[in-house]
Amino acid sequence: VPRVKAGTTRRARHKAVLATTKGHRAARSSRYRVAKESMLHALDYATRHRKLKKRQNRALAITRINAAAREHGLSYSSLINGLKKAEITLDRKSLADLSIRQPSAFAKVVASAKAEL
Amino acid sequence: MASKLSHSIGTHTRLWYLIDARHQVVGRLASMVALLLQGKNKPIYHPSVDTGDHVVVINTGHAVLTGSKWDKKLYRHHTGYPGGLKEIVAKQLHQKNPTMILRRAVNGMLPKNLQRKHRMRRLHLYPDSAHSHALNITHQLPGPCPVFKTLSDYSSEEITSFPDIVTRISHL
Repeated sequence: VPRVKAGTTRRARHKAVLATTKGHRAARSSRYRVAKESMLHALDYATRHRKLKKRQNRALAITRINAAAREHGLSYSSLINGLKKAEITLDRKSLADLSIRQPSAFAKVVASAKAEL
Repeated sequence: MASKLSHSIGTHTRLWYLIDARHQVVGRLASMVALLLQGKNKPIYHPSVDTGDHVVVINTGHAVLTGSKWDKKLYRHHTGYPGGLKEIVAKQLHQKNPTMILRRAVNGMLPKNLQRKHRMRRLHLYPDSAHSHALNITHQLPGPCPVFKTLSDYSSEEITSFPDIVTRISHL
């Protein structure tokens, strides 16, 4: 194979990696060899945490619904049981939002659940 | 339409709770106090923000440990030196400092993160009924354990008018 110089391709490859590491600390955003590792970790974390975000948000909503339900004398488990029996299909995100921003509406939802228990 | 009209000045402030620990089981009380210190009783709870409240517990000297824990429960720590395992029984620790048992219980029930120190600073324990936070207290909460009345809590009229069960049964 005849000799092939890198030419301009190496600079282009490196620039592409450095473009993804904008905002990384110290050499991780300026030196290619360190930036490449930083980029690989960042992409890995991003992929993993896109899935984790959904889990964490659901857990937070459940904690909030638990707190709000206990203000009305019910536990989270009893509330969900009552809602299933009342065929109310509000998801945990909506329930948590109601409990913070529309507590009067949440109180009515709890009352419907209590009626079925 | 989602709004914050329902939020009052009390929604986002730190409240001050007063709890009487007399006749309350230590572990059960500590569990309840830990939840209040974290703010997990609030629908606005978020782990990144410290939504906890202040908790003042009085009469910690009169809290209850069930079974033979006063004689058998050991509190251990290691000083770091060889052979430096120190053990102290609950009874002796209580005599040394009547707030320590409840403080250690709550400390162990809080999540072990950087907020634990700040939350413990919001826990105010007093061995007797005297406390210096009377101006701050917003709510008084009952403890988790039901407090039963002793004979001295009944008036003499109630005692004399109580139906005489014992002699009636011995009739049969």
